[in-house]
Amino acid sequence: MNRKSYKGYVYLAPVLAIMLVFTAYPLVRAIFMSFCEDYSIINGSYKGINLENYADLFKDKDFRKAITNTITYVIFVVPLSVVISLLIANLLNSHIRFQGLFQTLYFLPYVTSVIAIGVVWRWILHSQYGLLNSILNFFGFESIGWLTDRNYSMASLIIFAVWKSLAFDIMIFLAALQGISPDLYSAARVDATPRWRVFFRITVPAMRPIIAYAFVMGIINSFKVYNEVFSLFNGSAGPSGYNSAITIVFYIYDKFYNNYKYGIAAAGSVVLFLLIMFFTAIQRLPGRIRARKEAAQK
Amino acid sequence: MEIKILNLTKAYGDFKAVDDMNLSVEDGELIGLLGPSGCGKSTTLFMLAGLTEPTSGQIFFGDKDVTKVPPEDREIGLVFQNYALYPHMTVLDNITFPLINRKVKKAEAIERAQEMAHLVQLDGLLNRKPSALSGGQQQRVAIARALVKKPQVLLLDEPLSNLDAKLRVETREEIKRIQQEVKITTLFVTHDQEEAMSISNRIAVMNRGVVQQYDAPQAMYLNPINAFVAQFLGMPQINMFQAQVTGRGIELDGVLLRTREQLESAGKKIADGTYQMGVRPESLELCEDGFIVKADNVRMTGRDLLIFFKIGTTEFRALTHSDLQLREGDNLCLRARKNSLIIFDADGSALVKC
Ligand SMILES: Nc1ncnc2c1ncn2[C@@H]1O[C@H](COP(=O)(O)OP(=O)(O)OP(=O)(O)O)[C@@H](O)[C@H]1O
Ligand SMILES: [Mg+2]
Repeated sequence: MNRKSYKGYVYLAPVLAIMLVFTAYPLVRAIFMSFCEDYSIINGSYKGINLENYADLFKDKDFRKAITNTITYVIFVVPLSVVISLLIANLLNSHIRFQGLFQTLYFLPYVTSVIAIGVVWRWILHSQYGLLNSILNFFGFESIGWLTDRNYSMASLIIFAVWKSLAFDIMIFLAALQGISPDLYSAARVDATPRWRVFFRITVPAMRPIIAYAFVMGIINSFKVYNEVFSLFNGSAGPSGYNSAITIVFYIYDKFYNNYKYGIAAAGSVVLFLLIMFFTAIQRLPGRIRARKEAAQK
Repeated sequence: MEIKILNLTKAYGDFKAVDDMNLSVEDGELIGLLGPSGCGKSTTLFMLAGLTEPTSGQIFFGDKDVTKVPPEDREIGLVFQNYALYPHMTVLDNITFPLINRKVKKAEAIERAQEMAHLVQLDGLLNRKPSALSGGQQQRVAIARALVKKPQVLLLDEPLSNLDAKLRVETREEIKRIQQEVKITTLFVTHDQEEAMSISNRIAVMNRGVVQQYDAPQAMYLNPINAFVAQFLGMPQINMFQAQVTGRGIELDGVLLRTREQLESAGKKIADGTYQMGVRPESLELCEDGFIVKADNVRMTGRDLLIFFKIGTTEFRALTHSDLQLREGDNLCLRARKNSLIIFDADGSALVKC
């Protein structure tokens, strides 16, 4: 190590120390905890080091349910939110009246507390007085127990979550849209390009990096879903008595704070961590392949 | 395709970007739209393209009033100031794009694109992305894309402004060559007077949204209609000065530039008084019997020698052949060539040349 780089590390040291204490250490600690049988958070004692926690975890049908629920949630919420946001952002970006007003409206959910939004949605989805059921009734469909029938818990959760995550996606897409040269659209007009082709051949390619970003962020955040469940089902993971909308983080939280099963909660976190890593890696694959192809072309 | 522009105006609020423009272009002509930044050149071009809606006035392509026709139906090719190539498509896709949109079969589109690429000398670059091309190559892709649908009118917005000096000269010749080969009516925006003069059949000089003069380059250079045009054309700029018309002729600080007879032989009666006048640097020539001045500064520009001198307090520039041996402080004898002195009236319009 020469003098120069030595100096660099000195500058880095404070941040590095904070990261070590608050990020790296808890991570290592949690991984360690996940292997400790009957870990006690009070005095740090444990019976032994083994895979008991993981065994318990996968034997627990609530956890298996949490995994399938979470993956279902990610698979629906992320693409739906991205696609819908892309369309809305495009509409908002065309020269319409009250553009500013609409932009603000769509952004509101982002600056509002999930709990408050949850209250509103609990009303919208109410089985007797809810707005959604009124609309269904109006078109001649029967009411659905969105929040009371456990078969609809996930559907309700997904609708609620998509709506909620639109705000952020629309915002970043709008910013990206405004960065596309208007001349490209003028050129497309002169070239008699149909609207859908303008969208797919000019807008979407220009937004590819930001769409990828929205996907990665969406996947990571969706895997960690907890607040949405909590606020929609009033603190539980589904209609009372059922865990029909339980998610991994909800499960972990429950094990940790309500059941004091620290080891199992830690094992759950490790599984979640691995899942997120796996899905983010897959998601980035197409981009990597394209980059390699383009590099090969040059 | 002939183009007629009638009373065309574009107003933004109270501000008129283009003010009551009238212009007619013959089939196959190359017209330069010339003027300083912000004078309304691009606005004019975009109104011709249909991308900007005129506030009033009409545009005719041939006999057809196209004022309300959308851009895609105007049969125009447009090249943008920054080319506006589709960055995520290859050169080939860029060029075939207008054809595919017009439902031309893929095989035919590719064939026509290749022909076009050959015309603008892009063979071999068809599979590249625009980002992997030089400025000049990008510009040629833009021209190919504009021409591939066989438009009736080609509109170019400062197509050379992003190129370096040498490439500019090459590319403008290229544009001229392509234009003559395809025989397409072309409007070409530029703020570079030399560029406009060297390739245009006719030039429209604009200032603050108003067409000042519309004429062939040489005619305009020799007979500018007003002081603005006189000053805008020519490099180095025309010498402008205030001089007196008296009983003796034209006088400037004791120097007699023209005798009374010379002034009167120009044919127009000029009342005595002070006038703004102009004489081009290359019209000041060495002679035996002119006025004597001292060279304050001598600059070698290659082809010419640029000499700075003063008459009284007015600064002048003169161009002479570069083989003249002259140093700073030397005296020289000059005169203004016959028919080279332009007299302007108070509002700047040219009165007479003598
Ligand atoms: N949307 C608009 N709103 C208000 N003013 C505008 C608008 N577009 C253009 N202008 C004004 O109209 C005038 C002419 O603009 P234009 O783009 O035609 O200039 P130009 O001659 O092409 O200049 P340059 O050589 O810099 O490209 C400018 O003063 C510009 O500020
Ligand atoms: Mg312009």
